[in-house]
Amino acid sequence: MAEDLVLDTAIRDWVLIPLSVVMVLIGVLRHFVAKLMRSNQVPDAKIVKEGQVVVRARNLRASANFIPPKSFRARRLYFSNEENGLLYVPKGQAQNAQAQMFSDPNMAMDMMKKNLSMIIPQTLTFAWVNFFFSGFVAAKIPFPLTQRFRSMLQNGIDLSTVDVSYVSSRSWYFLNLFGLRGLFSLILGEENATDDTQRMMQMSGFGFDPTKSLGAEKDSLDIVQHDWALPKFEQRAEAVLRKALR
Amino acid sequence: MVSKTEETQLSNLENQVDNGGGGAWEFLCLVRKLKVRRSEKVLKHGLSILRDPKNRSSLGPDEWTLYEQVAIAAMDCQCLNVAKDCIKVLHKKFPESKRVGRLEALLLEANGSWEEAEKAYSSLLEDNPLDQAIHKRRVAMARAQGNMSAAIEFLNKYLETFMADHDAWRELAEIYVSLQMYKQAAFCYEELILSQPMVPQYHLAYADVLYTLGGLENLQTAKKYYASTIDLTGGKNTRALFGICLCSSAIGQLSKGRNKDDKESPELQSLAATALEREYKQIAPDKLSLLSTALKSLKVSA
Repeated sequence: MAEDLVLDTAIRDWVLIPLSVVMVLIGVLRHFVAKLMRSNQVPDAKIVKEGQVVVRARNLRASANFIPPKSFRARRLYFSNEENGLLYVPKGQAQNAQAQMFSDPNMAMDMMKKNLSMIIPQTLTFAWVNFFFSGFVAAKIPFPLTQRFRSMLQNGIDLSTVDVSYVSSRSWYFLNLFGLRGLFSLILGEENATDDTQRMMQMSGFGFDPTKSLGAEKDSLDIVQHDWALPKFEQRAEAVLRKALR
Repeated sequence: MVSKTEETQLSNLENQVDNGGGGAWEFLCLVRKLKVRRSEKVLKHGLSILRDPKNRSSLGPDEWTLYEQVAIAAMDCQCLNVAKDCIKVLHKKFPESKRVGRLEALLLEANGSWEEAEKAYSSLLEDNPLDQAIHKRRVAMARAQGNMSAAIEFLNKYLETFMADHDAWRELAEIYVSLQMYKQAAFCYEELILSQPMVPQYHLAYADVLYTLGGLENLQTAKKYYASTIDLTGGKNTRALFGICLCSSAIGQLSKGRNKDDKESPELQSLAATALEREYKQIAPDKLSLLSTALKSLKVSA
């Protein structure tokens, strides 16, 4: 049924624009509240040390060809020694990382705070949208959609004959939710507290897993073949000098 | 290490400010960003900004950063009264701050009251055991007092945690060289080469240490590193050129008895000698005769 519904311009004035404005304002508010509430993170000594060890091991791997073979071998042994090498992680400890993250009270509190600051405004705004702006058609999507989207996009509209392109304001809310991220990064600078989608992606995989990175470094260090580059330098120096003296 | 463009920018700004052209604030910001040590200039221009209340209020919240910068510069130039005034102002504004506490401990150190400074630093470290700057101040204090073994101990402990800090490795290498512990110094220089393999100074220093250690293998390695320095600096480093000549003659002396076939480049020494002569002819022609006799004596023994 391809009949064209004519939508009142008042809808645009009183629904679409206020909704966007309200979402922007709420985002800005959340950003500042998050800045105020951000607790001073005391870095854990062990984590700092592990980070630095990884950097050092990476340097060793990258520039291994610049130091004499004996020194390289000594350092490699220092890192991957079975008993007390820096990168060596016994198998039992490897599983504990995630459990440790949960039991560490500070980190748990931090994550809870971040989750709450994301969930509560979203829930409130969603409830507000549903309460005030439901039961009518808000906008028309410019491209045709299948019937599957009907339940998602046409929530308040109880007529099953209306074209799926006509959506309720709930879908406008979702559109804004994901779309305003670009606007926020313009106004508030990068790395602002409203970056929900990034946070949601982070929730699925835990960020910093030190034991795994150490194991990875150790494996790559074991693979490295030392090819001392210095003898070539002598010939290069000769060439340089010859050119300079010509 | 400051890059070339930044270096030129800095010197341009410096000239501009020195000749009364304004732009003092940009100069100070650039000095702060690059962490260069220009304490006299910073002191002079910083004070001129701070003394004028109109300039001061136009800075806004950066005023306090400027106070900190001027305080440190004043301590570096031994104008302790200026430093004390700046720190007093900062203390009034931020009474419980760790940064101000650090400045006060620095002032104690500049005054020479070592024990009080040590106590202040230890208490600051208790609050925040991972503060890199305070660890380094403790090492610097030990070194200033001449207590090298304590400095080495502190620095080693610091490096156990923060092993990717190449400034610390450099400091440790210098301390070892001053104490003639060349093997340890060689280890530190290797760390530096690993983290920044394209910086010729480290190759040069490593080669110097290896040459000082002596022994045929070390001399050969030293020659290779002098060669890499020449390669990295395009043949302009006089010290590396000298190093090549000395190493070659020393190697020749050591392996005179053995019939070692010289698979390494035999021409390097003569090339280096020629380059040296040309450079002396250009820069210090009156010393050329000294150079020629020295080189001849080296070649004779080889």
